[in-house]
Amino acid sequence: MEIIWPILALVLVLTGTFFSIIGALGLVRLPDVYTRLHAAGKVGVFGAAFLAGAAALITPSVLGKAVILTALLVIAGPVVSHALASAAYRLGTPVQRATRDDLAVARERRLAMRDSMDSPV
Amino acid sequence: MLAHLRLTLICWLIYLAVTANFELSNLVVGLLIGLAIATILRPESQPLSLRRLPAVLFNLAKYTAWLGVDIIRNGIRVARIVLDPKLPIRPGIIAIQAGMKSELGVALSAHAITVTPGEQVVEIGDDGVMYVHCLDVVTSAEGAEEAQRKRRAMLERIFE
Repeated sequence: MEIIWPILALVLVLTGTFFSIIGALGLVRLPDVYTRLHAAGKVGVFGAAFLAGAAALITPSVLGKAVILTALLVIAGPVVSHALASAAYRLGTPVQRATRDDLAVARERRLAMRDSMDSPV
Repeated sequence: MLAHLRLTLICWLIYLAVTANFELSNLVVGLLIGLAIATILRPESQPLSLRRLPAVLFNLAKYTAWLGVDIIRNGIRVARIVLDPKLPIRPGIIAIQAGMKSELGVALSAHAITVTPGEQVVEIGDDGVMYVHCLDVVTSAEGAEEAQRKRRAMLERIFE
């Protein structure tokens, strides 16, 4: 039974490394800010969480650290990627290869409404 | 006073988890740090019924587990897309109605969406509409309404 923990930890390390590599690869391959944030901001966090889990399995005394670290990553990671995406959209960075953009539609509708209210009768 | 004590206790537990050292000196230092943080932050007291606490914790655990499964499933989906030589992305922004009144509810819904790989909230309208950028619009748009309904039900059970 003792042998199972190192093996499980190894599996977690490999999975974590795999997802970290995917995050880096996505950052290079994907076309624009928004899609790159998907790879770097989230899949990367995902990889780090697996690595923290593996560390907790090998040395049980760091379990608390691993749990807190994962929780902080999961709470703060989305906030960062949302802030970056929102800033990019406000600056007018185009959404590459967009098949659908509901936000642009809503924005145009709002602008049109404001223009029609401003126009003298 | 109760809120003050509660914050002290939470800070103390986090400090102990991070340091993983249960000697008396460390326990005292942690308690002092917790007290200092609670004094600086001055939490507002809010009613907390101990009777509801187990149900809230249970629902919180259920929500976390559901979120974890969602993250892993979508992580694998995004990994597939990135590894595919053809890079089959269909990016776009869709509008999802949060359907919640409180700002906390909308914020937590947006957090749950953003933490999932392949979807992230770009903007939140005044009317509680979340504009979500998706790596694959077609797949995400299919399940979006259903997922938001489920998410809302779970969040409402935790924070009502």
